[in-house]
Amino acid sequence: MFTDRLTLFVFVAAFGLLLLVLEMVRRRALAEKYSLLWLIMAGAILLLAVARPALDRIAPVLGVYYAPSALFVAGFVGLLVILLYLSTVITQLTRENRIAAQQIGILQARLEALEKSLEQAPYDK
Amino acid sequence: MNLPEETEILVIIPAYNEEESLERVVSGVRASVPRADVVVINDGSHDSTPLIAERAGATVVSLPYNLGIGAAMQTGFMVALAGDYQVAVQVDGDGQHDPNEIGMLLERLLLGEADVVVGSRYLENRGYITPWPRMFGIRILARYVSMLAGQHFSDTTSGFRASNRRALESCAQNYPADYPEPESLLAFRKMGLRVSEVAVSMNKRYGGKSSITPFWSAYYMIKVILAVTILLLRRAPRRGESTYVH
Repeated sequence: MFTDRLTLFVFVAAFGLLLLVLEMVRRRALAEKYSLLWLIMAGAILLLAVARPALDRIAPVLGVYYAPSALFVAGFVGLLVILLYLSTVITQLTRENRIAAQQIGILQARLEALEKSLEQAPYDK
Repeated sequence: MNLPEETEILVIIPAYNEEESLERVVSGVRASVPRADVVVINDGSHDSTPLIAERAGATVVSLPYNLGIGAAMQTGFMVALAGDYQVAVQVDGDGQHDPNEIGMLLERLLLGEADVVVGSRYLENRGYITPWPRMFGIRILARYVSMLAGQHFSDTTSGFRASNRRALESCAQNYPADYPEPESLLAFRKMGLRVSEVAVSMNKRYGGKSSITPFWSAYYMIKVILAVTILLLRRAPRRGESTYVH
């Protein structure tokens, strides 16, 4: 199944990553939503490492002459996609965070004004 | 000033660590436009900015941490929107804008020929000297934004402005971050809001330090050019549509 050591190494690493991600999801250290891309990437690399004939056919198409190197190309592309996705998540979090902060500021000012007006005009007991 | 008596004006002063200048700015504004309400947006200052603003007679809205000038200004516009103000004036907290010139902006605005009136340092030469690296950046930005907007702007980075209800509504809903002035000019044009410039003088800052060092000037210029270019490619938000509500 593994004709060379590099493919074996990639297989072990991808399998380890798969287990790590699943374990982190189980412990709620990683949300399912964000684990999906990692699982897909680890799974794809795992498949390619096992299915050596497929890899041997795909690699030359990409211009990669040493087939196992194609695994790294796949990993690199996968990482880029994940990083870009995370940047969009950060962008959205920043926006939501800003809106929350703005609302807190405005609400606090309104609350203080309200408290002040209540102090000045105490209601009848 | 012969303004309609019922016009409700809110002066918005964004302030980040401006304890040295804020007292003078707030009392200057109150003396110059006594009928206006003044709100200071304390953008997560670490000094006594909110205390000084309150003592000087302004309403203070304190953001829990520093959000940047764009978000601080937008907060001011949100206050104006909620408070049913007809006009919002923005004045920097560092004292470089002369509160006595607010009247000029307001008069021009109330002619009804513009939705936003911008106080320009460069429309007339009034002896205001800008350090050359910043002048260089300001010139490039002015050229670029003017070209894209199809209207000549002499000062795209001025934060001394008056907006009518229509413009302040749009600013409350959607306002650019970080370094919002040039970007917002183009956004106004895209939304069909009319912008005109009025010549103003500009003081030296009363205190504090300018947040703009040469490195950040360059960064901002590149960022703004990118932002402005992308703004062109974006569909104009419809009136009342907000980009921050999902």
